[in-house]
Amino acid sequence: MTTFGSMDVSSIQTGLTNKEFSAREVAEASLARVEASDEKVHAFLEITRDLALRAADRVDAAVASGNLLAAGPLAGVPVAFKDNMNLEGTHTTCSSRMLENYVSPYTATCVARIIDAGGIPLGKTNMDEFAFGSSTETSAFGCTSNPWDLGRVPGGSSGGSAAAVAAGQCTISLGSDTGGSIRQPASFCGVVGIKPTYGTVSRYGVVAFGSSLDQVGPFARNVRDAALAMNALAGRDVLDCTSQDVTTDFLANLGEGVKGMRIGVVREFMEAEGLQPEVKAKVAEAIAKLEEMGAEIVEVELPNAHAAISAYYVLGPCEAFSNLARFDSVRYGYCDPGHKDLGGQYEASRSKGFGAEARRRIMLGSYLLSSGVYDKYYYPAQQVRTLITKDYTEAFEKVSCIIAPAAPRTAFKFGEISEPAEMYLSDMYTISINIAGNGGMSMPIGLGAETGMPVGTQLIAPPFKDENMLRVAAALESVYGAAPVAPAFADGKLGE
Amino acid sequence: MKKLEEVLKDWEAVIGLEVHAELTTLNTKMFCGCKLEFGADPNTHTCPVCLGLPGALPVPNKAAIESIVLAGLATNCDIEKHSMFYRKNYMYPDMAKNFQTTQGPVAFCMRGHLDLDVDGKAANERIDLGGIAVGDSGEAGSTAENVTVTEDGYVAHVGIERIHMEEDAGKMIHVGGGEGRIAGATHSLVDYNRAGTPLIELVTQPDLRTPEEARLFMQKLRQIYLAIGISDCSMEEGSLRCDGNVSLRRRGQKGLGTKTELKNMNSFKNLHDGLAYEICRQAEVLEEGGIIYQETRHWDPSKKRTIVMRVKETADDYRLFPEPDLAPYDLSDEWIEGVRAKLPELPDQKAKRFAADFGLSSYDARHLVDHRETAKFFEDCMAQGATAKLAKPLANLVINDLYAYLNANDVSLDECPFTPARAVELVKLLAEDAISSKQGKEVFAAVMEEGKDPSAIVEERGMKQVSDTGAIEAVVDAVIAANPDEVASYKGGNTKIIGFFVGQCMKEMKGQGNPKLINQTLAKKLNS
Repeated sequence: MTTFGSMDVSSIQTGLTNKEFSAREVAEASLARVEASDEKVHAFLEITRDLALRAADRVDAAVASGNLLAAGPLAGVPVAFKDNMNLEGTHTTCSSRMLENYVSPYTATCVARIIDAGGIPLGKTNMDEFAFGSSTETSAFGCTSNPWDLGRVPGGSSGGSAAAVAAGQCTISLGSDTGGSIRQPASFCGVVGIKPTYGTVSRYGVVAFGSSLDQVGPFARNVRDAALAMNALAGRDVLDCTSQDVTTDFLANLGEGVKGMRIGVVREFMEAEGLQPEVKAKVAEAIAKLEEMGAEIVEVELPNAHAAISAYYVLGPCEAFSNLARFDSVRYGYCDPGHKDLGGQYEASRSKGFGAEARRRIMLGSYLLSSGVYDKYYYPAQQVRTLITKDYTEAFEKVSCIIAPAAPRTAFKFGEISEPAEMYLSDMYTISINIAGNGGMSMPIGLGAETGMPVGTQLIAPPFKDENMLRVAAALESVYGAAPVAPAFADGKLGE
Repeated sequence: MKKLEEVLKDWEAVIGLEVHAELTTLNTKMFCGCKLEFGADPNTHTCPVCLGLPGALPVPNKAAIESIVLAGLATNCDIEKHSMFYRKNYMYPDMAKNFQTTQGPVAFCMRGHLDLDVDGKAANERIDLGGIAVGDSGEAGSTAENVTVTEDGYVAHVGIERIHMEEDAGKMIHVGGGEGRIAGATHSLVDYNRAGTPLIELVTQPDLRTPEEARLFMQKLRQIYLAIGISDCSMEEGSLRCDGNVSLRRRGQKGLGTKTELKNMNSFKNLHDGLAYEICRQAEVLEEGGIIYQETRHWDPSKKRTIVMRVKETADDYRLFPEPDLAPYDLSDEWIEGVRAKLPELPDQKAKRFAADFGLSSYDARHLVDHRETAKFFEDCMAQGATAKLAKPLANLVINDLYAYLNANDVSLDECPFTPARAVELVKLLAEDAISSKQGKEVFAAVMEEGKDPSAIVEERGMKQVSDTGAIEAVVDAVIAANPDEVASYKGGNTKIIGFFVGQCMKEMKGQGNPKLINQTLAKKLNS
């Protein structure tokens, strides 16, 4: 049997067109590969075998009719979705006991767009509970391992989706990013991860964490595959009134190179305390490579970016508190039995149904929004938001892309970080982009000298100019090569 | 307990209203495409959005925004160009998301007002205006706040704080207890068909002083909402709901007393009676040295009293914050002017036009426009070629007979055979003295009953009024000749006895004599 683990979109589609294999074979082999590897990785929470085969049959029909792409630009590509995305008839648990038995009656727009584009849905992936976390350790259904070192975390909150792509379980997966939840796990797992500009991808059907910060984006092992996914995902959705009419072709300028491009570097980011030397070295090397390729490296300032984490831990919990209020045990979700009064049932069900981090953020948000407290935190946080947005606007007057670390360190070991405040620093480089709303992505640039774990660099674009960062990413990929499947999961390693 | 008029001599009531109107004339809900329909099977008009399922997002109904702006323009509000939605967080099973999407400090409509014409008996409750009502000329330029004294009453200027947009909750049905109440219920059911219904809430300033003013305000607001077509305004079905806040203070005092909030006033009568009871109750408590607690009370119309629903010990903390799923609104002047252009003629404007065009008194004109149906009927009559001279009798016919008939029989105009053409015919018969006013009433009733034209009924029943002076003189002469004692009494100064002669003449003429001519002829003969 052919192994599809390391294949990119173009090689799968060439094989399908040339009838070297069928989409059904791709689906069957991919499902078998997930089964063989997931004992180690535990990236998946649910396998959607029937849906995968149905999607594959549609692709095979298109091949039979002589036009593979009639089934869509992602025809025959194995995909996976973070478990906060609704897919009708499957579970949407958000990795929480609260929604352990919840079955979606409808499909999220982003999921529908990937499947409509011909993607073969293999299943739903593990995450931090309700996306609260940076290591996928807060999942109620067990940790996901980093395919590069099973003793380490994949990052989070979209850890399952990042790990699935890194382990070659699928070609493309979707994650959501509220403060770094796509870019940080992409960096930890050595894959490409894009958080587009807020409003590029519809949030309809994605269980909300911080509504003004959440954005859906793809993971892939190369820039072109990620851009293909972006083309399928982007654009106005009448069901999400914050979505915009984005018509960008994300493939258009991948081959343009960076010659003459002005790329910004933020000194405070590169010199921040807490930035691991191995990460700093790799990012500095990437900057040098860009310069070698003809980019002009310009220093830019983001004087208020340091306040991003503080603002985030006000705005995020406030929105989360309200978004999670619907999980009240009445119509769906975990219900603690035997209560005679509504208040008692609410309290017990929510205490037992939510994990510690979810409870922490709900309580924090509830406190921050209460009268008398609101003015001291929520309002200043919104002001910080305005300032940070202004910082980016001014920086992007000088440059068309900014390069920075994606995370201050490489993947850490399970249990290594137990203090919430320390965990929150994992997102120190990513959060300000969610606060400002523009796009950012993590691009793998090799392995760290100390840990031997993947390092990602973050590329940051002006609002609705996400093609700028993809252009830089493609240039870096020409130097570093496409991301490999993690060695332990390379072709042949699973006994295929 | 003292009566309201007694209480109001010593106490001034301060009343504010919160009026919720469901925008029932829209096709779909506030934030999703579900159909708006009253009385459908439970939970048949629902979707992920109005059920608050994980991942669902709101999309605002543009027609609803237009409706609230219409309401604001019709009630003299400033339209705020920049406003946004907020989340009001509280947990209750009828609220699917456990937050209600509503508005924050800045609503679409701010700072409006309505003027209430209070006249006739209705003005009596304003003791402070010195008994201005019922023919008493009153004291012009009264010092009472927000009031202008007029010839036959006064005009109350009632401030409107704001009108904001929000979504309705689902409907809870409590099972197993008494009367569907939660107390004693074994379980509760929720119907989310109503969840997400577009709702506008109008909040008045505490400018109302009597239950009558509150009733008139609601009536006027209802007329306006019906005229602009944003709601069916059914108080019975709950598409127009009103809560009242009421407190008392000693006459002459400026500060405000502790208020109570009154609910379940689902008719104009209940609104008036509920407030009247609550004012009297508070007065009794205060006069006995007691304390009014800030609490929500329920008006029970069958027991005619208010009962405590819940005591507010502390202010509720709804953790209001801007709704991140909905972008702030930026209404352009052009758009607002476009909505203004859609405003139909409002009741006040219509009354002014009726008064000017048809020479009606402002009282008649106002009462004609009290009901859209009858106002239109009147206009149709005038369009049928009724002369200006007939306007006043037509107005009387519409205000008194027609409206009373519709009300008493609980029918609508198009269900009854009384057409504008028939109305004009009847009024003409009366104006020409062809029938007496008493016969007019009979003809009106017969038209309703038999569905025939007034002239046909007059013909059939031989109702022609006798206005032949020769015939009348003959009868008068005969009556005078037959009653010499009464003639003597009349000539002795008892002129009131003329009524006896009129009656005798009418009897002779089988009720068909023209009473005016009989009177005139009798007076002439008896005085000669």
